[in-house]
Amino acid sequence: MNAALSITETPDIDVDSREETSTESPWIVLVWNDPINLMSYVSFVFQKLFGYSKAEADRLMLDVHHKGRAVVSSGTREKAEMDVFRLHEHGLWATLQRDDR
Amino acid sequence: MSSDFTSMACGPHFSETTGDRNPKVIFRRRRAEAFSRDGDRIHVLLESDERELVAELARQFHSVVAADEDPDLTRLYPIAYVGDCARQTDYADLVHEDLVRTRLEAADTVVITSQSDSLDDGQLDAWMQVLNGLRLLLGTRLDISEEDGFDPEAVDAPQRALLAWLGFLLEEAVGAASDR
Repeated sequence: MNAALSITETPDIDVDSREETSTESPWIVLVWNDPINLMSYVSFVFQKLFGYSKAEADRLMLDVHHKGRAVVSSGTREKAEMDVFRLHEHGLWATLQRDDR
Repeated sequence: MSSDFTSMACGPHFSETTGDRNPKVIFRRRRAEAFSRDGDRIHVLLESDERELVAELARQFHSVVAADEDPDLTRLYPIAYVGDCARQTDYADLVHEDLVRTRLEAADTVVITSQSDSLDDGQLDAWMQVLNGLRLLLGTRLDISEEDGFDPEAVDAPQRALLAWLGFLLEEAVGAASDR
């Protein structure tokens, strides 16, 4: 796994297959590093969409920057998908997947 | 490059020496602010030629997003479900039109307010969405990576300078929005 993913690569993550094993298993929303979005803008979007404090949003943004990704929200698939949509609306590179951590 | 460009920083006043020639120089600012909040309003501190450039770029953004054919638009419509084609197709079918529409509306707002003295928070959001969308489009086209420095001799130096200027405006807009 690359620490900093370029925009041309596909995230190398394992995603559960389509079978509905359990409707209870939570989903997580991941934001991935990219070389274009400004750090200040990413932190601002986290605060605006999820109500994070500036300090918490900055910490998540730095996780994205240094580790390549960060989990920014979780919940049902419907909620996670809506969060991903709002992140996409703001130009951030977000995906959702079942929480298999 | 004309000598008018280099005289900007320390030479005589612009209008005294150039008369009606009015060269298109966008990096003339000496103050470090593009937006400044005053209560519920955000003052736009851009020069008239900068405003024209913002409006022109917003029009171009509108036209590229509306046509929805440019391969460099992919970064504006990321994949939500990696490795799950069926769910990804459903997701894209569900949201693509909405993502297009909100960007077109934001571009319209920027064009309409490009000459305004001040913006409300909703209009500032539209400016941020368009500035960031333009950066994603231009950055993808230039194949930007984080290690890239700025080489003034490079063939794409003007586009990279434009990307940096859009970044400056977005950074300023984020600062003004965060004061709310």
